[in-house]
Amino acid sequence: MLKTVAAAASLAFALTLGVPCAAAADSSADAQTGTQAEKSGKKPKKDKKDKKKDDKAKNDKKAKSKKSKDGQQTNGAQAAQEAEPPSPDEGRFATDIDAEPEPTPAEQVETGGKSGVRVSWKQHPSFRVGSVFRIDLQAKFQEDIHSSYVGEPDLERAELHRNRLGVQGNLFKRIEYEVERELTEKELDAGKTPKSPWKDVYVNLDFVKNAQVKLGKFKIPFGLDQLTGVTHNDFVYRSLGAIYLSPSRDIGGMVHGSFLKHGLQYWTGVFQHDGDNARSSKIAGGDETFAGRVTGTPFRAVMQGLGEIELGSAFTISRLSDDSFRPNGLRGRTVMTQHVFYEPVYVKGNRRRWEADVDWTVGPASARAEYTWVSDDRQQQGIGDNDLPNARARSWYVSGTWLLTGERKTRPVKAEENFLQGGWGALELAARVERIWFDSAGGADDPFRNPRAETIFPETNRALTLGVNWTLNRFVKLQFNGIREHVEDAERNPVQNGAAFWSRVVRLQFVL
Amino acid sequence: MRAKSLRRAGLVVAITVQSLLTLARPEAQSGDAAAAIFDDSVVHDIRLTMSSRDWDSLREHFTENTRYPADLRWRDQTVRNIAIRSRGTGSRNGTKPGLKVDINYYTADQRFLGLKNLILRNNTQDASNMREFLAMKFFRRMNLAASRESFARLYVNSTYMGLYTIVEDLDKDFLEKNRGENDGYLYEYDFDESNRIPYAFQYLGTDPAKYVPQPFKAQTHESDPRGDVIERFIWTVNEAGAASWRQQMDEYLDLGKFMRHLGIENFLAEEDGITGDYGPNNFYIYRAENKNLFSFIPWDKSNTFWETSYWIFRNIRNGEPDHRNQLVLRALTYDDLRDAYLNTLLESADSAEQEGWLEARVAEFYDLIKAAATSDTTKPFTNDQFEAAIGDLRTFARERGGVVRGMVADERNR
Repeated sequence: MLKTVAAAASLAFALTLGVPCAAAADSSADAQTGTQAEKSGKKPKKDKKDKKKDDKAKNDKKAKSKKSKDGQQTNGAQAAQEAEPPSPDEGRFATDIDAEPEPTPAEQVETGGKSGVRVSWKQHPSFRVGSVFRIDLQAKFQEDIHSSYVGEPDLERAELHRNRLGVQGNLFKRIEYEVERELTEKELDAGKTPKSPWKDVYVNLDFVKNAQVKLGKFKIPFGLDQLTGVTHNDFVYRSLGAIYLSPSRDIGGMVHGSFLKHGLQYWTGVFQHDGDNARSSKIAGGDETFAGRVTGTPFRAVMQGLGEIELGSAFTISRLSDDSFRPNGLRGRTVMTQHVFYEPVYVKGNRRRWEADVDWTVGPASARAEYTWVSDDRQQQGIGDNDLPNARARSWYVSGTWLLTGERKTRPVKAEENFLQGGWGALELAARVERIWFDSAGGADDPFRNPRAETIFPETNRALTLGVNWTLNRFVKLQFNGIREHVEDAERNPVQNGAAFWSRVVRLQFVL
Repeated sequence: MRAKSLRRAGLVVAITVQSLLTLARPEAQSGDAAAAIFDDSVVHDIRLTMSSRDWDSLREHFTENTRYPADLRWRDQTVRNIAIRSRGTGSRNGTKPGLKVDINYYTADQRFLGLKNLILRNNTQDASNMREFLAMKFFRRMNLAASRESFARLYVNSTYMGLYTIVEDLDKDFLEKNRGENDGYLYEYDFDESNRIPYAFQYLGTDPAKYVPQPFKAQTHESDPRGDVIERFIWTVNEAGAASWRQQMDEYLDLGKFMRHLGIENFLAEEDGITGDYGPNNFYIYRAENKNLFSFIPWDKSNTFWETSYWIFRNIRNGEPDHRNQLVLRALTYDDLRDAYLNTLLESADSAEQEGWLEARVAEFYDLIKAAATSDTTKPFTNDQFEAAIGDLRTFARERGGVVRGMVADERNR
């Protein structure tokens, strides 16, 4: 495992310096002059005015097709899609928005001809057989150095947080597929959140334009932040609601499509359970789940010059059983240390989730907000086997980002000038405030912390995250986050005296 | 002969004084709210109310420490929002589970009669139901700190679940009551059943992690258990030179008090104690915060009263060599410590026989618990086995003193 990471780090470093993969990595070099310049080891300089003109033209072009075909948060990944068929995580069927911006033709490195069998390396190494078959290799590595409050027993200073390999592609351009697997165990942490090493494993059947069918394991369509790809997040960690209330991946089938030139999109499906986030080694999670999500851009016509606002909303309903002898409710944990400040309660009946979100992007800035509500039935879960008021969990966040280096905000961010290739990359400030809280919907008894309490003792965690994102090039990103958390219940707060505490993390991300 | 009589008379006086002191101790006063539940003159009724599914789950998964919420009622007092879990090592049982009652698990400052925890011992390894109870009572009679205990009928959701022993947990409350402070480091000796060769106070090297949390499991200061002090203690036990051993050991252990603990255990024929058949077991150690001096505290004496002829040097001079307690072996090489050990055995014999104390207690508590024990349908013994075990206890109480005196005399005549 260490060798893998060392190799990844070496490659990341090499890519950062632009050798020996500079040709593949260089997204800013002039196509006409780049080859000769690279051979001589010099990078051609552009006149600043000319460059600004080019940038403006590029941005105008992008703005016209700002939203991807899938209408979710893949802005920036679209320009090349008119000419190229979308890869599975870039197409309109995507729910996990991990789309990388397709390079322009000038960035493409290919071997073989344009027809028949060919191998190319754009964002991903790719093997294609005409328009019959395509397979792309993809890799995601995220390595962290972090620290938090004194006495946190489980937090290692350095952590190989996420290391994934996968393939994606299509058959006959109508059957798209993806297979992705986690290589390291941290993401599968048995003590806290054991998850399957298999991430996205699905096929998408694109035979009916507005009613595509997706089958396999993928994210249940719920939650703006949860559906944003793990390498595209504005912060090292997703919001508390996304991590602990949204369902994440499960096995199932989904129909999805878009109308009104992607101004209105929908996803609806049924799943075996209610997602990885609701389960652990000790929590069984929900059973059969029905989910639906709708997004739209209702202000598109009246928002000229003010960017684009997308509104979204989703719901799920899941069956909850009490077959397990352990509580089957949701947990509340802190961001980095995953200290449990709210233990699961016994539940039975149905679990209902609802969320509403807004995503606003204008020039170099963006803002997001999301509210999530979850309610679990507690039929016959009292100490006397009586019904109890529903267990309830809610969360919200508001976040904003600002690209200091002037690029147009996309996810992922695309630096106008790569680091050590005429520029410093893209530098972005980010901030997020959020709250997650758990209680019961009523109850006449005194509030208690036990898992069969009629009135659940309210538990709240508030967090503020301040961050700097440095995108060196489209392969490498560094994220610096400081996270201030305050668990309001002193008895469940991991630090003495119930005080707020800071956590710090630096993440090196390498994406192929 | 005359000197012997004088010594015995002295012992009787000492025991009488200690008994008076014991009666005058704080727990006997009205200020100790928990004294009422440890009143051993009655069989208490403990009533638990909990989800019937939880009770079934606890019994089904009795090997796990999963906690379940419950309400507890004793006399006219109810404490809500408590947690119970299965407990025990060899005594774990799904039919009659031993229980730990965590009063403050869900609410840190919650207390019941001033207590944070209670143990409900199921006595599934003791047909008499009385060995642990009598042993702890005898430790206290000999003026060593030990858990208070009493008997209880346990009802879960109004169903009688059998006769249990209520045991005072070894926690900060216990330390405060018995030592007047509780800021120090308390460790449970955690017997590793999976290891054929037990830990017997051998020196395992300089790494504190070799000692904490296994075999010494921190009960306080869990985030900074200071295994390094235990490492120095064990190093001294094993590695300190003969010339300075006693002097160096003074920093870590009151050897005279330790010999007293050992003598009481072996008078009681403790088969699973400091010099048990399976290696050292069933004790806690404690040291005050700014001192390195450890004390031993007895725990789980359900294998006492093993047999009347139990040899006072069992597992010290016989038994498997790798089971022998290195601390005991080294301490007994010193004549004064060996004398202290033998004197404690004699003192124990005298105390047990003083006005037939031990035999009288067996009779008294047999009468007290008989109805509850014989109507207990969850116990893993028949009523005939219960009666036979009580008979064995009576025999032990009558004969053990003489047997021990003979063994001590033999040792002194060697």
